[in-house]
Amino acid sequence: MSRTPSLNLFVLAFLLSAAAMSGCSDSAFDSSFVYSPGTLDLMPEAQNGSKDVHGVKALLDERFGDPQHLEAWLKMPIDFGGTMTTVGEITTAESGIPVIKLGVEEGISLPEQAGSIQFVSGACAGETLVVSQWDPKTGEANLAAAPSQSVASGDICFIDRGTVIQSGRMLYMRHCSHCHGTSGDGNGPTARYLTPKPRDYRNGVFKFTSTNDMSKAARDDISRVVKYGIPGTYMPSFLLMKDEEHNAIIEYVRFLTLRGEFERKLVAELSSDYSKVALSSRLKDEKKADILKELNEFLAEDLKESANSLGDELAEIWATSDTEEALIVPSIARIPDSTESRRRGRELYLSKALNCADCHGIDGAGNGPQTIAYEKNPTTGQLYNEAGLHDVWDNQNQPRNLQLGMYRGGRRPIDLFRRIHAGIKGSRMPSFKNTPHEDIWNIVNYVLSIPFETEPGGTGIAPSAAAAAVTVPPAN
Amino acid sequence: MKKFWALFFFFWPTVAMYCCLIAPSRGWWFPSPPMSRTGVQIDGLFYLILIIVTITFVGTQYAIGYVLWKGATKEQDSKAMFSHGSHKLEIIWTIVPSFILVFISLSQLDVLAEIRVISSFPEDAQKPAAKIAEVMARQFEWRIRYAKPGTDLTTEPSPGDLYFVNELHVPTGKPVVINLRTQDVQHAFFSPQLRVKQDAVPGLVIPVWFDVKEVGEYDLVCAELCGWGHYKMKARIVAQSQGGVDNYLKQLEAEQNEDGTKAESAAE
Amino acid sequence: MATVTPALDAHGHADDHSHGHGHHQSFISKYVFSQDHKIIGIQFLCTTLLMLMVGGALALAVRWQLAFPWQNMPVVGQLFGLFQTEGGQISPEFYTMLFTMHASVMIFLVIIPILAGAFGNFLIPLQIGCDDMAFPILNMLSYWFMWPAMVCFACSFFWAGGTAGPGNGWTSYPLLSDLPQAAPGSGSPQTFWLLGLTLVGVSSMMGSVNYLTTIINMRAPGMTLFRMPLTIWSMFITAILQAFALPVLTAAGFMLVFDRLGTIFPTTIHSVFFIPANIIVNNAEPTVGGGQPLLWQHLFWFYSHPAVYIMLLPAMGMVSDMLSCMSRKPVFGYKPMVYSMAAIAGLGFIVWGHHMFTSGMNPALGMTFMTSTMMIALPSAIKTFNWIGTMWGGDLKFNAVLLNCAGFVAMFIVGGLSGIFMAAVPVDIYFHDTYFIVAHFHYVLFGSTLFGVFGAIQFWFPKMFGREMNDTVQKWHFVLSFIGFNGTFFPMHLLGIAGMPRRYADPYLHGYLSHLLDMNRFITISAILMGVSQFLLLGNFFYSMFRGKKVGRNPWNANGLEWTAPSPPGHGNFDIAPIVYRGPYEYSSPESDALGQDYILQTVPHVAGVKAVAHH
Repeated sequence: MSRTPSLNLFVLAFLLSAAAMSGCSDSAFDSSFVYSPGTLDLMPEAQNGSKDVHGVKALLDERFGDPQHLEAWLKMPIDFGGTMTTVGEITTAESGIPVIKLGVEEGISLPEQAGSIQFVSGACAGETLVVSQWDPKTGEANLAAAPSQSVASGDICFIDRGTVIQSGRMLYMRHCSHCHGTSGDGNGPTARYLTPKPRDYRNGVFKFTSTNDMSKAARDDISRVVKYGIPGTYMPSFLLMKDEEHNAIIEYVRFLTLRGEFERKLVAELSSDYSKVALSSRLKDEKKADILKELNEFLAEDLKESANSLGDELAEIWATSDTEEALIVPSIARIPDSTESRRRGRELYLSKALNCADCHGIDGAGNGPQTIAYEKNPTTGQLYNEAGLHDVWDNQNQPRNLQLGMYRGGRRPIDLFRRIHAGIKGSRMPSFKNTPHEDIWNIVNYVLSIPFETEPGGTGIAPSAAAAAVTVPPAN
Repeated sequence: MKKFWALFFFFWPTVAMYCCLIAPSRGWWFPSPPMSRTGVQIDGLFYLILIIVTITFVGTQYAIGYVLWKGATKEQDSKAMFSHGSHKLEIIWTIVPSFILVFISLSQLDVLAEIRVISSFPEDAQKPAAKIAEVMARQFEWRIRYAKPGTDLTTEPSPGDLYFVNELHVPTGKPVVINLRTQDVQHAFFSPQLRVKQDAVPGLVIPVWFDVKEVGEYDLVCAELCGWGHYKMKARIVAQSQGGVDNYLKQLEAEQNEDGTKAESAAE
Repeated sequence: MATVTPALDAHGHADDHSHGHGHHQSFISKYVFSQDHKIIGIQFLCTTLLMLMVGGALALAVRWQLAFPWQNMPVVGQLFGLFQTEGGQISPEFYTMLFTMHASVMIFLVIIPILAGAFGNFLIPLQIGCDDMAFPILNMLSYWFMWPAMVCFACSFFWAGGTAGPGNGWTSYPLLSDLPQAAPGSGSPQTFWLLGLTLVGVSSMMGSVNYLTTIINMRAPGMTLFRMPLTIWSMFITAILQAFALPVLTAAGFMLVFDRLGTIFPTTIHSVFFIPANIIVNNAEPTVGGGQPLLWQHLFWFYSHPAVYIMLLPAMGMVSDMLSCMSRKPVFGYKPMVYSMAAIAGLGFIVWGHHMFTSGMNPALGMTFMTSTMMIALPSAIKTFNWIGTMWGGDLKFNAVLLNCAGFVAMFIVGGLSGIFMAAVPVDIYFHDTYFIVAHFHYVLFGSTLFGVFGAIQFWFPKMFGREMNDTVQKWHFVLSFIGFNGTFFPMHLLGIAGMPRRYADPYLHGYLSHLLDMNRFITISAILMGVSQFLLLGNFFYSMFRGKKVGRNPWNANGLEWTAPSPPGHGNFDIAPIVYRGPYEYSSPESDALGQDYILQTVPHVAGVKAVAHH
């Protein structure tokens, strides 16, 4: 058979393309963070700064980086991964490349594996060196290549810095980003079809928490949601993820959340004077050049400083939210489930003071009068187009239909207790923290009985066999 | 060149056979030996068919190669055989395959009945106590509901039922039944190691029985397109001794009644 | 031909033929809205070849995701601007759109129309010796109804900028396809998809009515039923299948549309054929209904299983013709071939339940369907043996036509044998909806049908355009497609045995599948080879159309009536209306010896003094 030259070319081209294809297989997820609408509403000079001063975007990127180059702002209560340690003795291998002994300080446990060392102090500060051989027992690290400057004993460095956040990002891009978006803005490609919308982390608000109403979400709260999903929504359960994967994702979610909150706070500093809207009204009696000068001064001095203090604020509230201090612990154990307790719960449910029925309806079907009233949008002051309640993300906020027996924040009594005590953050479910705990337990007992009522408000039904086990014997 | 083409038709089935032969050693075969009794039967039937099919495959493919080779090596100018067919051959290759096919068909019936026909379920599977859980599929997870320990599972939820997600605990060594349902669209309950598969159809409650031979963890995935997150329905079946399952349910019950006043660690 | 003319005159049929039609036609009426079956056939062929490339591109996108999950998808990731913020990473629902549209395009816009539409149209009048189809206008409409169907499919795919196409699989099982909230593409795009499906059905139905009438009424004198080439038999049986199965799908489609219209007209049209009560999808209100989703599966497969044979039988017929010609030997067992096609068609109506072995239908039905499905393997086996018998002892012409036909037989065997695993219910419980199924039906639909079509394109190309295709290029095309095809689909059997479910955007999420990534990469590379090699076919096709070597009426020395017509035949086909004296497969017969050739046209009267003695 005669092979024409064009055919040979064709075959060659195919082989090359196949080779090229298999070569590029491991590229990471190329993507970029988007800036929040608030940032984009600022005047361009405030967004971008100038040659000498950082604008909002640069301040944000400086501290959080972009997806390909995440920055670890150590102030943030995030486990970026890696072990901080100090350089000890330095010897030189036969090849002339130094061998560094690490982990000389007491109480530090060295990782089993080490791929790289990043220096944060000393002559090599900022430099990352690849480790060719690692002995976790002695802490001796052979380097693949000599550093550009000499390393000195006492230099502080990180082993495998950022591995947690990096792997968190890879996992997030695989499992989460198509709904929650690369930037955690709840606006991935799949998001637009989902009811309710995926969470936009950037407000720093998570709905279902174990913490009191003024606190943020604890790690455990995010962890529960990732592990068990949210019934009744498209948030599925990722129960079978390995623990280290699970933790890495949670750290990355915290990273995105803090990035978003930090961005909001920066914007809040600027938006009253330097947003596009403010600019146009100011231009009526001010000159643009003056405004720009003022802005530059503000960016160079005030904002730079407040960036740090804002970071401190954020770090503190997120860190304390993770402590026992923030956790809601009932002062008394659950009131045993009984007809009496349920009846009391129903009374409270209908009472003027608590007024649960206003939203959830008198029989708990989630159809109270508030669901057909028109609400005002707090930011624009306009009435919403559709009736019903709205959450802080401006999405319609349906009160839960308690008859379905589906509890998004968990079905344990303590979960329901906390929903009532702290409210559901970001939603229109308010906090009832001033209600006596005994009353809350009575409401919990009533709410848990609603799916099994034989008639609406039928508190007269006998507690089931299941509940009977914990019923206090009637005093007779 | 003609011979090349004849050899080509010998060559590819040989490569295909070779791939199949090395497949088990390369992990391109069943994910594990069958871990349930019906799984063993299903695998037996699979290998029965595999043997019949392999013989047929090799025979017919090499027959193609052979007739091509004969055509390729034919003397120049020799004429084709003039034949409109052969009654005898037609009868042979009608009757022989039909016997084989009927044989394959009949050999399946018992196993099929045992797997699917409720009245042919093993006796133990027909007892109410064998019904251990309801598996409710939804986009995109498996919601599991157990009866309160000591009671029988009801078709609709009862107070005191225990709930979990994406993890089904079953006792080993005896038939268990699950009530398979779906909350939204169609899904399918598929455990590759147990060789169990049943669609969850909206509006139906389908009892599915299986028995797990050994303690261990087995995959549970969805095998019917259920939307964009079809691939996400990753769950597992945890097979334990009866005592292990009882303990698990007790622990689950304690967790589910958690009122937050004890140490928080007990909740996890 | 000289022997034919006097006979023709004697029968006085010379007036029948159609030089009278040769009046002037405008370009539009000749090449666009043509009522000439040959032009319509070629229109179908070109359209379906184009769609083949579209469907192939969709398949490659699917393969990319499976080989390099969530990696920047070439072209798609950037071109439409769909996924730029995700760096070209596609979304999971886009993956469901890709495989849904791949199947829809390949089945409804390629395989069905390329067989019945392209070859059915082109060959039926030529092979039975008439001047055109019975209903030329209907025939024209059957082509032009494909276009609104394609527009509907395109609308549904590109809905909302390509982000919300139908993603429910080509089977469109409710409730996923029934409740608009159930999936991103289950709103209007799904309705458009169903409309497209209905329009394809209308097109097919017009075709099949036409084929049936033409074959029954318009055969040339002497063309008895058992003198018809197997191609005609297969087209005839296919047309019957289509005429009887399609109404069910059309009805089911409308039922689904009516269910769906409830979201638009909740008070007027809101049926619940497939919707049971109290279903909550995507947090919407619980459904009100009393329908049954399994009903759709029954109705759908009642059409779609016979449709598998609609997608296969014509190729079987054409391959029989081509094998006989290229082996210079009569078809082995002509009547058994006809009867087995009839048996396949008949049994084809009572096997649909084998798609539903795990669906929860009554297990007694499962047993019945298993037995009937096993039985349908029998006529398929008979046909296979007869094809091998046809080649056996033949004077084989090793051109690309023969190779493609032999490839057809070899691939059909694989597809048929893998079907036995799935016919057996207990084994199918394991294989249902795994890649084993994907392998199986690609062996049948691509491996068999398309290799048959590749052969048929080359075989009848001279009749279409009066020129021949380059055989060397076709051989390259065959060998590259064949290697690419088997590299793609054979390993899928093993993926299926390993338990990899279909339609997973990211199977490697599951521990027991994560080691299969390398094999999937190999499959993807093979698929690219297969896809790229189709450019050889297209290039050869369009090049040869204008620059190919000119050939005469009968370049293959074949027997059929079409080879007595000019190449390409004029309007009205035959310059002398043919009369048929013999069957279509009398190659190398003693009579042909007497003429000093190894073939004898169907129009040649019996030669005095030579008795046709053949082994029976």
